[in-house]
Amino acid sequence: MRLAMPHMGNIYIPFRSLFERLGIDYVIPPPNTQRTLSLAVRYSPEGLCIPFKLLLGNMIEAAELGIDTFLTVGGCGICRLGYYAKIQEQILCDLGYNVEVVSVGVSENKLAGLLKKIKRLSQDAPWIKIIRAFRFGLAKLYALDKIEQVVQKVRPVELLKGTSNQLFSRASEAINRADDYATLKKLEKDTISELNEVTRNNEVEPLIVGITGEFYVVLEPFSNLDVESELGKLGVEVRRTTFVSNWIKYSWFLNPLGLNEKARIHQAALPYLKRDIGGDGWESVGEKVLHAGEYDGLVHLAPFTCMPEIVAQNIMPATREKIPVLTIICDEQLAKSGMLTRLEAFVDLLQCRRRAGSGNGHKGKV
Amino acid sequence: MEAYLGIDVGSVTTKFAVLDSSDELIYHLYLPTQGRPIEMVQYGLGQLRGELPSGVDICGVATTGSARYLAGVIVGADLVKNEITSHALATLHFIPEVQTTIEIGGQDSKIIIIRDSVVIDFGMNTVCAAGTGSFLDHQALRLNMSIEDLSQQALKSKTPVRIAGRCTVFAESDMIHKQQMGHRIEDILYGLCQALVRNYLNNVGLGKDIRPPIVFQGGVAFNQAIVKALEEELKSEVIVPPHHEVMGAIGAALLVHEEMAASQNGSKFKGFGVSEVRYRTSSFECKACPNLCEIAQIALDSQILARWGGRCDIWERSPEGKG
Repeated sequence: MRLAMPHMGNIYIPFRSLFERLGIDYVIPPPNTQRTLSLAVRYSPEGLCIPFKLLLGNMIEAAELGIDTFLTVGGCGICRLGYYAKIQEQILCDLGYNVEVVSVGVSENKLAGLLKKIKRLSQDAPWIKIIRAFRFGLAKLYALDKIEQVVQKVRPVELLKGTSNQLFSRASEAINRADDYATLKKLEKDTISELNEVTRNNEVEPLIVGITGEFYVVLEPFSNLDVESELGKLGVEVRRTTFVSNWIKYSWFLNPLGLNEKARIHQAALPYLKRDIGGDGWESVGEKVLHAGEYDGLVHLAPFTCMPEIVAQNIMPATREKIPVLTIICDEQLAKSGMLTRLEAFVDLLQCRRRAGSGNGHKGKV
Repeated sequence: MEAYLGIDVGSVTTKFAVLDSSDELIYHLYLPTQGRPIEMVQYGLGQLRGELPSGVDICGVATTGSARYLAGVIVGADLVKNEITSHALATLHFIPEVQTTIEIGGQDSKIIIIRDSVVIDFGMNTVCAAGTGSFLDHQALRLNMSIEDLSQQALKSKTPVRIAGRCTVFAESDMIHKQQMGHRIEDILYGLCQALVRNYLNNVGLGKDIRPPIVFQGGVAFNQAIVKALEEELKSEVIVPPHHEVMGAIGAALLVHEEMAASQNGSKFKGFGVSEVRYRTSSFECKACPNLCEIAQIALDSQILARWGGRCDIWERSPEGKG
């Protein structure tokens, strides 16, 4: 058996370590590139969303490297995601690749489901070994996400643009190679202190913009045209609750207790949307309501043809909690200029608002 | 005399506006871009040199529009600003009480919501160019009439027919169908104007709080029939300001005036001589990673002035492309 899994931000790093420790033969698909996109678009049904297409692209490029199994996400959520694994398997079959697409249910929120799939894929490794490997993978994931949160703060104020991005990609590579907890801990600590020492422009009080929307397009920079870095270049501090580590924490460990950020987000959305509408639509509305007091603005990312996010987009202007929202539709388009024009205008708008005293966060300053 | 120059290089037209130190418009120019933004900026500067009164001293230059970065490199801009902010500022300059600005240009259309002289919301067409100037141009061409005639003809309509405005392809096939059924050309044309207005309001204006005073600017505001259709649909007066077609350039000039007043430095403007040098543009495929981005570059003699087009910024940071 030879296994691969899709790209979504840095998620391949913890999974690589998991496969490595369980002795699973694996392939990391080539990173998302124009080639991935071209292949994906050629073989995908036209009306499906960009997450479907890029996942398929990863599968095809991994299949070219001789995999026979692909681990992806699915489940019985109300959005089309639940069908994706089967359709993708069929498309791969039509292309002549005999690949089994194994799907882990995300909407069921069951850690046990994933562990059982991993047990099967590891050809029945002992449970203790699986749990240890899984914990180390999680540790890598947490380290990466923790560093990224610092990067989000440094990016808008660094004097030499691009410094924090470079530090982050260097740290990611090192974390990818790290093989024990001590090295990992040291990497995390060193990188964060390096980031904190980056020369900053202390004169500006950066605008704070939240990012919300569909999970995949929020987390895969290729699909959102690096919207976070671009906002950072414009001097904006980006905040988001969507991190894989948070998702795991909220869905697998804390949710049964019902006391976490996700529950608070759902609670906030209730006056406007009373139930889950599939995908991440409920969360998008809730994030706007919940964070209206602390963010200057919100960037809402939605894949083209994504029903839940379109519903959310239409509810957002009507909430009583007023904060400017810019919806960006993510699709096959690779040219950044249209997005940049909107981002620049959005930042101008937020700055004017703050100067006029109606902005949030740092009232009256600047 | 101190003056400030705004240049708006759009997909279809290139606009120049020169303001004096009290922000009065002293000269403006409206040119077709014709797919050659660099040549048009150079040509426009040449015109300006010949026609501006002597003694006018350009103390600041700003560029805006979709080719703002390219134009900024050529002229030596002190400020490069997006067209949404530029348009909003220009409207506020002429009509301070404005609450809604509608701008329809060659390829894109915008709506800007303003309250108490502050932009609070905006929208821009995302996935569809239906209702923009290019489509109207295309229809005029197909009917073998000038764009001015199209507007005049449409105004004569008494019983407009319904045209599907969802998409230009549907609109065109609907128009052909109605024309082959024997409907009058003016009724079809006004039906088209109504469809475009509906499409604009349903897409760009979706969820926006449109309140009067409503100002309509951009090239398409020349079209009286669209103005009439907008007024009917919005049930409100629509103001078309004088110089509505160069508002983006005016806004850029206003912004750079403000910027230069606050700054200690002199202008970076390269002067009107720019109209005579030869810029070379070329592109190549970056091989640094599997993305194979197409990098565009602009050069003067052997010196590279700027590069862009990559997903990452290695080429923008250094001419060698070393991260």
